[in-house]
Amino acid sequence: MAVISRTLFLTLLLALVAFLSASSSTSSFIAHAQPQNDNDALLQKKVSRLEAKASKNKGVIQLDSLAFEDVMAKPRNYSMVVLFTAISPEFNCVPCLNFDPEYKMVAAGWSKLANKSQLFFSILDFKAGQAIFQKFGMNSAPSVLYFPASSSISGNPSQDRYDFGKSGFQAESFAAWLHARSGVKIKVQRPFDFMGLAVKVLGTFTAVFAVIVFARKGHKIFASKYFWSTISMIIIFVMISGHMWNQIRNPPYSMPTQQGRSGFIANGFQNQFGLETQIIAVLYSLLTGASIGLIAVVPRIESPVGQRAAVWVCMGMFTFVFSILIQVFKMKNPGYPFTLMFR
Amino acid sequence: MSTESSSTVARVLKPTILILIAIVAISSRLFSIIRFESVIHEFDPWFNYRTTQHLVKNGFYDFWNWFDEKSWYPLGRVVGGTVYPGIMVTSALIHNVLHFFNFPVDIRNVCVFLAPMFSGLTAFSAYLLTKELKDSSAGLLAAAFLGVAPGYISRSVAGSYDNEGIAIFLLVFTFYLWIKAVKTGSAFFGLLTALFYFYMVSAWGGYVFITNLVPLHAFTLLLMGRFSNRLYVSYSTFYAIGTLLSMQIPFVGFQPTRTSEHMAALGVFGLIQLYAFAELVRGYIPPKQFKTLLKGGVAAVAVISAVGLTLLSFSGVIAPFTGRFYSLYDTGYAKIHIPIIASVSEHQPTAWTSFFFDLQMLIFLFPAGVYLCFKELKDEHVFIILYSVFASYFAGVMVRLMLTLTPVVCVSAAIAYSTLLDTYLETSEHVLASTNSAIVATPAPAVIDTPTVAIPEAKAAGKKAAAKAAAAAAAAAKSNEADAKTHAKSISAASGEKKRFPIFNLDSRLLVILQLTWFLFMFAWHCTYVTSGSYSSPSIVLASRQHDGSQMIIDDFREAYYWLRKNTKEDAKVMSWWDYGYQMAGMANVTTLVDNNTWNNTHIATVGKAMSTSEEVSYKVLRQHDVDYVLILFGGVIGYSGDDINKFLWMIRIAEGVYPNDVKETNFFTPRGEYKVDHDATKTMRESLMYKMSYYRFAELYGGGNAVDHVRNARMPAEGPTLSVLEEAYTTENWLVRIYKVKDLDNLGRDLKDSTAFDKGRVRKVSSLKKK
Repeated sequence: MAVISRTLFLTLLLALVAFLSASSSTSSFIAHAQPQNDNDALLQKKVSRLEAKASKNKGVIQLDSLAFEDVMAKPRNYSMVVLFTAISPEFNCVPCLNFDPEYKMVAAGWSKLANKSQLFFSILDFKAGQAIFQKFGMNSAPSVLYFPASSSISGNPSQDRYDFGKSGFQAESFAAWLHARSGVKIKVQRPFDFMGLAVKVLGTFTAVFAVIVFARKGHKIFASKYFWSTISMIIIFVMISGHMWNQIRNPPYSMPTQQGRSGFIANGFQNQFGLETQIIAVLYSLLTGASIGLIAVVPRIESPVGQRAAVWVCMGMFTFVFSILIQVFKMKNPGYPFTLMFR
Repeated sequence: MSTESSSTVARVLKPTILILIAIVAISSRLFSIIRFESVIHEFDPWFNYRTTQHLVKNGFYDFWNWFDEKSWYPLGRVVGGTVYPGIMVTSALIHNVLHFFNFPVDIRNVCVFLAPMFSGLTAFSAYLLTKELKDSSAGLLAAAFLGVAPGYISRSVAGSYDNEGIAIFLLVFTFYLWIKAVKTGSAFFGLLTALFYFYMVSAWGGYVFITNLVPLHAFTLLLMGRFSNRLYVSYSTFYAIGTLLSMQIPFVGFQPTRTSEHMAALGVFGLIQLYAFAELVRGYIPPKQFKTLLKGGVAAVAVISAVGLTLLSFSGVIAPFTGRFYSLYDTGYAKIHIPIIASVSEHQPTAWTSFFFDLQMLIFLFPAGVYLCFKELKDEHVFIILYSVFASYFAGVMVRLMLTLTPVVCVSAAIAYSTLLDTYLETSEHVLASTNSAIVATPAPAVIDTPTVAIPEAKAAGKKAAAKAAAAAAAAAKSNEADAKTHAKSISAASGEKKRFPIFNLDSRLLVILQLTWFLFMFAWHCTYVTSGSYSSPSIVLASRQHDGSQMIIDDFREAYYWLRKNTKEDAKVMSWWDYGYQMAGMANVTTLVDNNTWNNTHIATVGKAMSTSEEVSYKVLRQHDVDYVLILFGGVIGYSGDDINKFLWMIRIAEGVYPNDVKETNFFTPRGEYKVDHDATKTMRESLMYKMSYYRFAELYGGGNAVDHVRNARMPAEGPTLSVLEEAYTTENWLVRIYKVKDLDNLGRDLKDSTAFDKGRVRKVSSLKKK
């Protein structure tokens, strides 16, 4: 269930992002190179253009290489926050996708404030601005840089960088980081979560319904050991397949397959993907199921032929899945010397 | 063979097998002794060893009142009040008994061999525990599993002289006694449970697991409507005596009455008294009035306890959860709020590989055992189920809690495994007889099993009967009449559904038995492989293979500590990162600033600040704390990755938490967000004391060019850092440990930087004069 909802969510997100980028990246703006002595007028024009741009897109300005140079060019009385990201699906940048809505949330919070001309939020996608990525020596995304009003981009790229590792991907901590720099406090308003509401409403209905049913049937389900044994077994399987690690470390769900290395088993002993733990959970439950079958099902079969078949099937599955498990473990720990069926 | 003679054989075989298991358990923990020598391992054991020495030398009362002025300089540490003394007292006792009988065993050997010896006892208690759950053959399997399971060996190899070494034995044995107490309802076993609980409290902070699991078991039994006088007697005895005893340990003190970790036990104690009282009242009052009374009573108690608890926690009488425990519930908590807890590697979450590595095939037999427990579901099985679920959660959150999971995995897997063997080994009469007896012996619970037999009539009939029986059971479980009815129904239902047949074909039996035996072999190989390869290195002596395959022993740590012991004045203060505090105190006998007992975060942050700031700032800190020497680990020469530069980020982070103005983590990262030590290293990084101490004269080792740090694969600048407030005192053979002496103030009152520059200038001048 969780898997399905997760993939669904990802797909929705991808579609949304694709739609947004398609609608906004077509219209980039290039400065009209008119020599003007009046800096202020130029600046005024630029700012108003940026404001228009920002207000059109909920406070976020989509940039490409040219636009970036233009926005950063010197007369400048505003600060810039630039998110270097890669949200196209071919880059498969999960953190980029995760951070994107958070960033936009902060930008939207900003656009609701009174004096917006101090600071602009912008996004530079790798597709549109490879040159800038190279210029700043970016080899990972997402990154957020803060350019104070006074800074110039020509010299060294030692800009103020938001540390995802330390502060995390939450909009609130990002807003706090901005607050320390710009001095303006941005209130993050999480958008109303219709999905969450639907789940809650549905959940409440289910709960009420369940209570009514239970009241009628006289706590039959809570007294049933099947109910409790299912819950306990699920908890145990989830835990022993390393789910808590995922919960705490937030690894990617899987990686694209490259050069014969499968993308769903992570490299290294102390590292794992989301999909990997699900595979392991399935392997474990097959093994446990086979042994329970041998214990509980086989002795109930009356015909000798059927019983023999059941024993061979269970034991065959047991051995086969155990060999696969060992093989997967060998991928994680190449020095492991033992094998069962496969070499 | 008659049953009598076979039981005689069993009576001889069982102790023999148990003794053999103990021997295997002990000997598989001796790899490190054979490869290296009888030496205390790692970090914490060195403190335990040092305190044990103190205890043996000066007696118990002196140990109890010991104020250790050689650690946490200048604060000191009240050792007697801040340790779990169980392990020290145990080994001192063994030592004294042996000496009484004129066996002149050195205390070090007692300490080194303590954990393996106790692992034999642990195997034995696993046998006892499993015997209570199933039978003695499952018990023997459980003993064998726990004896060699790497999950337990990891903390109990010879030389790993730590609390866990004896605590796992105590944990398993206390649980055995508790189950025995619940089964028999005897106050005697309740008392024994309390006594061993006390021993556990004195030995390991993990006793909180018992403090919560046993009440949880009692509470669950209450909820299941299984309150009995047996439960009342055993729990009341255990709680009352156990709590009073546990409060005798100074380190625990009044915690059992004041902290949230212990509130569950207290609450269940109160609940069980009320429940028993209600049962008593029920006997004297007509049912209708009793119902009213019960409603009123429950409401009153709920209101009073809710209000009382809120008041007490708001007024601060009941302390909230301590950080270490709280981080088990809110897993993100430690990372944000207590970096010092998050920095410890054994507090990291567990990847699935660790589960498989530590338990191999047991890990998937374990749920099968839990399933079988659900099938039986007597009081003791409920305990194992609760233990399994909670221990697997905790083991998932923290690697070190794998230790508490391992016993229940072994027990549960042994139940599954031995049921498999029973099914496929037993002769047909046995199977039939045992199933029949099982049907008669299991009353109500058998009702709920849905049938899997494909006979429609029987199925329908069985379901109907089952539904009726369950309804009856739920409606009036207490009424005798209904009880009898249920019983009758259940038997009829069960005999209709649960027909078990023997395994007819020899080939099926052979297939299963042979395969299972093969898996046992694999398990044994796996355990030996893991123990020998991963869990038997003492970490103070390192071994590596050279190109020709011969072994090279790297003994730099002991070299450095011995140097300190022999070449520094008696009260020399040596600063190092806290990881090495215990080892320095134990081996070098010097005064340390911080050690592995991380009780004072500010002091640790101060050391972090001294390491991560520039020489001028750092020198002030060093002078303020009377530091004579600074000790660091540097693995760049031989590629030892656990060195101080790799730990440096934690020092910076912890220091930043206390001194945000002096230390900033971002300054140590390059603009591209990388942690670099080579040409790209930031200015702050290059000026930090740690960097300078690590790479001081490093380039000279390579004759001026191509200096490569083998840990970080970094090409170092040819011009290394210079030091003016420290001078190199000693560097070990492989450069693993470097010791620097803190310079005294300059005689002429100059800045140390100036005086160093001046000295250097003069040397140069003299040499240039000579040339002329």
